[in-house]
Parts: sequence; structure tokens; C-alpha cells
Amino acid sequence: MKTLHDEIEACRQDFLAALNEIKDRASLEAVRARFLGRKRGRVTGLFEALKTLPATEKPAVGRELNLLKQQMVQALEEREKSLESEKPKAPTGLDLTLPGRKRYIGSPHPVMTFLEEIEKIFLEMGFTVEEGPEIETDYYNFEALNFPPHHPARDSWDTLYIKGDLLLRTHTSPVQVRVMEKQKPPIRIIVPGRVFRREAIDPTHLPMFYQVEGLVVDEGVSLAHLKGTLEYFLKALFGDKTRVRFRPSFFPFTEPSAEVDIECTVCRGAEPSCSVCGGSGWKEVLGAGMVDPQVLKNVNIDPERYSGWAFGMGIERTAMLLYGITDMRLFYENDLRFLRQFRRK
Amino acid sequence: MRISYAWLQDFIELKITPAELAEVLNRLGLMVEKVEEVEGDVVFEVETYANRPDTLGHLGMAREIAAALGEKLRQKPWPVKEIPLPTKSVVNVEVLDSQLCPRYCGAVVKEVKVGPSPSWLQRRLVAVGLRPINNVVDVTNYVLMATGHPIHAFDLHRLAGPRIVVRRAKKGETLRILGGQLIELSPDNLVIADEEKPVALAGIIGGEDSAVTESTTDVFIESAWFNPVSVRRTRQEKGLDTDASYRFERGADISFPPEAACMAVSLLGEFGGKVTQGVVDIYSDPFKPREVRLRLTRIRELLGVEVDPDFVQSLFQALGFEGRRLNQSSFLFQVPSFRVDIEREVDLVEEVARFYGYDRIPSIIPPLKVIEKAPNRQQAQVKKIREILFHQGFDEVLNFSFSDAQKESLWSTGKQAIALSNPLSSRNALLRTSLMAGLLETVSRNQKRGAAGVHIFEIGNIYYWENDNPVEKLFLGLATTGEVGSPHWSRPSERTDFFHLKGTCELLLTELRYEPFAFRRAEHPVFEKDYCLALETKGDVVGYLGKVKPEILAVFEIEEEVWAAELNLALLLGKQPRPLSYVPVSRFPAIVRDISFIVSDQIPFEEIRHSLDSLNLPHLESIELVDRFTSSQLGEGQVSLTLRFTYRHPDRTLRTEEADRLDSRIITHLGSAFQARLREGGKN
Repeated sequence: MKTLHDEIEACRQDFLAALNEIKDRASLEAVRARFLGRKRGRVTGLFEALKTLPATEKPAVGRELNLLKQQMVQALEEREKSLESEKPKAPTGLDLTLPGRKRYIGSPHPVMTFLEEIEKIFLEMGFTVEEGPEIETDYYNFEALNFPPHHPARDSWDTLYIKGDLLLRTHTSPVQVRVMEKQKPPIRIIVPGRVFRREAIDPTHLPMFYQVEGLVVDEGVSLAHLKGTLEYFLKALFGDKTRVRFRPSFFPFTEPSAEVDIECTVCRGAEPSCSVCGGSGWKEVLGAGMVDPQVLKNVNIDPERYSGWAFGMGIERTAMLLYGITDMRLFYENDLRFLRQFRRK
Repeated sequence: MRISYAWLQDFIELKITPAELAEVLNRLGLMVEKVEEVEGDVVFEVETYANRPDTLGHLGMAREIAAALGEKLRQKPWPVKEIPLPTKSVVNVEVLDSQLCPRYCGAVVKEVKVGPSPSWLQRRLVAVGLRPINNVVDVTNYVLMATGHPIHAFDLHRLAGPRIVVRRAKKGETLRILGGQLIELSPDNLVIADEEKPVALAGIIGGEDSAVTESTTDVFIESAWFNPVSVRRTRQEKGLDTDASYRFERGADISFPPEAACMAVSLLGEFGGKVTQGVVDIYSDPFKPREVRLRLTRIRELLGVEVDPDFVQSLFQALGFEGRRLNQSSFLFQVPSFRVDIEREVDLVEEVARFYGYDRIPSIIPPLKVIEKAPNRQQAQVKKIREILFHQGFDEVLNFSFSDAQKESLWSTGKQAIALSNPLSSRNALLRTSLMAGLLETVSRNQKRGAAGVHIFEIGNIYYWENDNPVEKLFLGLATTGEVGSPHWSRPSERTDFFHLKGTCELLLTELRYEPFAFRRAEHPVFEKDYCLALETKGDVVGYLGKVKPEILAVFEIEEEVWAAELNLALLLGKQPRPLSYVPVSRFPAIVRDISFIVSDQIPFEEIRHSLDSLNLPHLESIELVDRFTSSQLGEGQVSLTLRFTYRHPDRTLRTEEADRLDSRIITHLGSAFQARLREGGKN
């Protein structure tokens, strides 16, 4: 007959086998119940059996049994811990899916963002950025640019006057004259800045807006160069596939003059009722031309030796086209929800 | 300018469709902005230019189209059957100012039956947007729209004399113009007068009292050429913009008046009137055509393309220029009187470009010569300022440069605002002397639209008079209010305060290397009395910062407190930044000591800081204020400050005893200078 000692030994072997089979918490609990359960546990049964032993054998076997129970409890605890670490990373203390913490970075105004885009393209072509006063004289704003006094051409530049011959510049072109007065060719500049018109505010007109002006003066500069450079610029700004059209126009300070259109960015000419291009498929983006010889003469540059080309572009109007903005007033309402959409590329 | 497809056919045989015609016009720069069908006709709305008055009629448009298509113009005859009664015997015409009226033609048609025009004539006028009135007025409008030359019809019997005198108005004379308005005249105004009084404002509008009416029988037709500047000045002065003034001020064709008169009387004769013999033509100094040389080399230089000389020759012929070849490489052209825009060689080059086609000119990116650039420090600094502000969480805004008297009165900055002489509204009547109004308006608008925090800046000019000279100065404005950033689960949401603003200013000056700088308590009309600092560097106040006065916030309907600053960038950026310099870095460890002490809250921190600096303690690397609090335990009016001192020796390890000695000096100094006492356990 098996002694209790043998049974204890068998129980130990069974337990070790069962311990190896534990794969998860549930099987661990099953093993715990099987061996250590208060009612049917095998060890509990062995303690019951212990009571039947003669008093002389009791202490030794009892110690043996107690040791086994202790080892079992310890083994299960260890196994429990190892199960924890084997578990796929479950949320313990910290939920790493919570949103991260970041500092808010302010947003540039879209007009500035757009100007920077333009500046970048021209700076890479070796242009410099020049600036000039917003309060101008009639001479720089008109006369030096070949607008004779009392010429109807002045009507297209609705002017806000201050007093005497002082006015708010209606375009950035006066800076052409100021630069040519102090610098001799070759000249390659762009001029960003605020300009002013006597216009009521509506979705497509503002009394103040930004313009960028470009001027190149050198020997041998031709209309073909104007076309090449502006085409490159507009493709860099609107995308390589953008079609560009040059058509004759009139500005007192350029001759020949051109207006430059790009293919409508909204309908590409496919929509006869397009609200952006009116169905023409083209949208005017800038005015340009060869610097009028009279303008060169006015700044003592010999038009027989030097020639030049210039362009002017409205920033808001063009940004509207590029970003699909339909109301120009948005630029100066400064609604942060609007402004923050125009982060730099 | 409205151009009718059918009407053009009077002058040119069109073999192309209206759509093709629009394309031709576009290529010439005569942009077709709208195409409309009107009763079987097609009408183009064409954009014209201030220098091309010849395109303000169907004849001129036809000339452009003919030259582009290589077609001939049609010559339409205007037969006139005259009665044997000399015009001169019916009316006496005299020009007293040939400067303002170099040419004046007159013709007379008697026994006209005033009534509706024939339907073909009415249709034409309607097509170009005019309302038919009666056959006489309609004929004058017909000639205007057909040829671009304005003419006028008077009722001969309502002219005293009957006489026509072209003269300057006399002081005090008046004229009741068509439509009934009475205008006052001055010697600056050229008028058409009869024997007694002005009957028309020359080249602009006719008088009511000499107008053709239902009962008119005899008509005097005026076809003249008036000085463009004189017409422009008078119409601007009187605010009378008419179809006639629009053309005269741009420059009509001085050769054309007899032909225009002839067209009118031919039509009136056709309608039953009797045309008197001869057109009166007062023309003392006949037009001499300009001669302009055109070099083929110039075409190549300016356009960057070689153009065939035969193309050039036939183009100018088609455009009505007389011309001859001077030699192998140049032409001499006579400019026709209707081309007032052409004076110089370059103007001819433009014509070559237009008709050659802008699309046929090559696109060339020229080799770019290196041009020496003058460095522009201000542009670079402004870019840097913007970057710093973005990183401090400020959004960039732009506001109009305009201001108004009410806003300017909120803060007397001592700057005299610049007023516009012709503002469109009183809200835009001045130029801003401060960026503050725009910033506060932006704050208000965004708060009303639900923004929990607004932190903004603007870089732009302010404007004012200085010794009668207009000045514009680049300024930076900052405003901050409400929550900073978006709320985050990990901590309570943060609100902006004065020190956010001040820290931003400090950062700007240190990053731009404008140290040393200092803040001083100051007063400023925008800021609350005890919440305002002036920012000084190198002996100048470069700006102010503080808490905006509640009464100013109320004007902008702002309820939360706003912290704001305004910096004179023009002044600041004009200063020399601190040069970069190098201080050797010690390899030896530092000893860091925190000293906490209790001091009266009436003592400004900066005083304590300066006084510690002036001790010139050896080996002291930095002082930081790391804690500050008040509590009831400290006692009324007391504050606890913890300063962190970092000591370091450049050449060896600093000894603890040395640091201890420095600590003691500091504690003693604070005690004697500020009655500061060491907090319990306040040294470690």
C-alpha cells in the first residue's frame, strides 16, 4: 500500500506537470483549484489524510506536506507574475494612445505666405527685394512713369490724395523709378508692398492691397525674355502644367505692354458658366511690358543702349485664384480660423 | 465699348464667325469680355484702352480687324443732295479760341420732320446699348457709334442770330444742360454760344434751350475737334462724363469732322431734310502728320524675334500709315491723324508685336548675370522677428492702413495723423498712427466668433506728419488675451498674462542681439497706469507694453483683459546688434545654490537683481529667479523669493568653502540693502 509519503511525492510530480501546462490565467486558476482548493484540492485531501496517521509519524509527514503546499503557492505566484509579463502590452497605468502635448505655433498671414512663395522663386533667379514709401508724390507715382498730367490713363488708377502732390501710391511701380535713379543697369529687382486705391470694399475690391512688382534692366533685354521669365515664374507658382497666355494691353509705363493670363485653375476652360473665369477659360494674373523708353530717359538711362521689362501682380487676387478663395475681404477680416489654414509649404 | 457684328459689315466684309472674330480681337489685345445675341445680331463687349480712342467706334475696330485678317476696308458712300442755299448765309460760325478748338465744322439741314428713326437705325442703336429718341438725335448717336466721332445737333431757330461762337465762358454765365441741370461757368470752360449766351458745353454736353424737339424744323450739325485737356478738366470739374467727353479727352481724329458732318446730313437728307450748300470748316492750322522711323534692328532688339520686312510694310499700309523704305534696314512712316497713340519708334514696334502675335514671340529665359546685392539687414531681421513670434504662439494679421478720427482720439500719441483729401468714407479718412486699433478690432471680432484665446501680431507702417513732412515708420504690434494653446488632458488650461507678453519682448531683443535692454515703469495713453512698461535699449525707448485700459476695450466691445505692446521697429532695427562674442567654456563642475529669502513685496525685483549684479561676485555664472510666493505665514506685504546662483571657476574645481563664502556675502547684502531675511531652511 502506498504510504502518504508516496502520495505526497506523486502529488508533487503531478503538480509540476500541471504547472508546465499553464498557458493563461484561467488554466492557472484551474491548477490552483485542483491542488489547493479548499474543498476538493488534492493537498487539502492530503491534509485530511494526515489526520489519520499515527501521532509518531504525523510531525515528519506534516512538515513534508506543509513544505509542498508552500512550494506550490510560491510556484503559482511566480507563474502568475510571468504570465503578466508575457501578456501583450495591455493598458496598465498609462494609456499611450492619449493625444500628445504640443506648443501652438503661430500662423503667417496668407498674403505674407504667398509673397514669400513669390520672393523665393525670384530670389533663386538672382533678383533682390526692394522697398519704397507708401506715401508717394505725383511725380513718382505718375509723371516719371509716363502718365502725362491730365491724361485719361490716370482714371484707371483711382487715387487717394493727401495734399499738394502727395498721394498714397496706387501701385508699386514708383519703386522702379526710385531704384533706377540710384542704381545703374544691370538691375533685377522685385518690390512687394501695400498699394492703395479709392475703391469701395466688396468681394473683389479693396481700398488697400498688396502688389509685387518686378523690374529687369540690362543690355539686350527683349519681350522674349519677359515671356520666358514670367512663364517660368507662373509655372513655378501654379504648377508645371499651367498654360500661360500673353496678350497685348496698354500701360503708360510699358511699350509694348502685355496682360498675362493663366488657364482657369477651376474649370480649365471646360465650364461655360464658370464663376472664376466667366467661361473664357483664362484668368488674368498680371500686367507686364517692356519698360517705356520715356521712363528710362526720365532716370537718365539711355534707351538705345539699355532695355528692360517689368511686371506687376496683385497678391490677394492671385492668392484667391490659387487657393480658391471667393471673397477678398476675408484677407483683412483676420478671422483666425481663416488665417490658420495657410501655413507655409 | 459695344461692337455689333452686323454694323462692322458696313466697313469690312466678314467671312469669319462671331466666335472666330472674338478670337481675332483678343489676340490684338481688344479683349472681348462678353458676347451677346441681340435680335439676330451678335454684340461684343470689348475692353478698350485710354490711348486708343480710334477703337471707340465701329470704323476703328474694323480697321484693326482688316489689318489682322489682310482684308480691305469697305468705303461706304454718303451721298448728299444740297439745295442751292449756302450754309454760310444761314448761320454765322466763328471760333474765338482756336487753341481749345482747332477745328469746327457746321452744316445745316432744313425742313426736317422730327419723328421716330427708321427701324434699321433704331435696331443698331439698341444693339450698342443706346435708347432711340428721335431721328435727329439718333443720327448724331449713329455717327458717334459708327465712327467714334462725337457730333451735336442744335435747333437752328433756337440759336440767337443765328450765330455760333466758340469761346471761353464769361464769369457768371450759366448753362441749363440737357436733363435740366443748371451749371455755372467760368473762363476755364470752353462753350458754344449763340449771339447772346452759351448753348453747349464744348465737347461734353448740349444745352436744354437749344436742343432738338418735336417742333424743330431746321437743324445745325456741329462736328468739331476740341482740346483733350480742356474737355477733361471741364468734365471733371462739372462731374459730367458723357460719350462725347470720353472720346474728346482721349483724342478724336482731327481730320474727320467734315466726313462726320457729311454722314449726318446725308442721313437727314435721306429722311426728307433739305441740306444747305457746303460744310462750314474753320481749321486755321491743319494737321501735319508725324513721321516716325522704324529700324528692323530695333524690332529684333525689343521683341527678341526676327520679323519679315514685307510683313512690316504691309501691316502699316493696312493700318492706314503712309510709308516708305528708307534703306535695307529701316522705314519711315507717316502716322495717320486717328492714331494719337503713335509718336515714337517703340510705338510702331508695339504694333508689329500685336499683329505678329504675342504667342509667336519665343519664350526665352536669359542667361543671368550676377548682380552684386546690397545686403538688406532690415528685411532679414523682420523675417526673424516673425519666426520668433510664430514660435511664441502669435498669429500674424494684416489690417488696413486707414484709421478714423474716433479711433485716433482714443489715444493721443502726440503724432499728427495724416488725412486723405478725398476719402471714400469717414471711416477711412486718416492714416493710422498706431497699430493698436487694428489689433483690438481683430481681438474683438475673433472673440465674438468664439475664439477662446487670441494672440496676434502685425508688422506694418504707421504714418504721421513731422515738421510738415509725411513720415511712415515700421512698427510691430502685439496683443494677447485668453487661453493659450488648446486645452490638454494632462494639465489645466493656461491663460496668457503680462509675463507671456514681456517674455516675448525679451526673447525678441535677445534673439536679435539688442542687449543690453531694460524695462522701466512708464505711462502710455493705451495702457493702465500701473500696468505699463517702456522698453529701452541703447538710450532709446523702442516700445511700450502693458494692460490695455478698460475704457479702450469697451470701445472695441472686448470684455476680457488684453495685454498689448507696440514696438518701433524702424528705430530698433536701425541700431547695431551686439556683435557675436565668445566666452571660454569651463570644463570644471559648477556649484549651484538656492537661496530663499523673505522681503517686502514693495521692492521691485529688478532692483534686487541690479543690486546683486553690482556686487560683481567672482565666479558667479548666473542668477535665476526660480520661485516666488506669498502666504499668510510670511506675513502681510511679504514675499518669498528663491534665487538660484550658479558658481563656477574657469580653471579649477570650485571649493565648497568658496561657495559658502559667496552665499554669505549675498545673504548679508540682501539683509542690509533690502531688509531681507533668510527663510527657514532657505539655503541649500
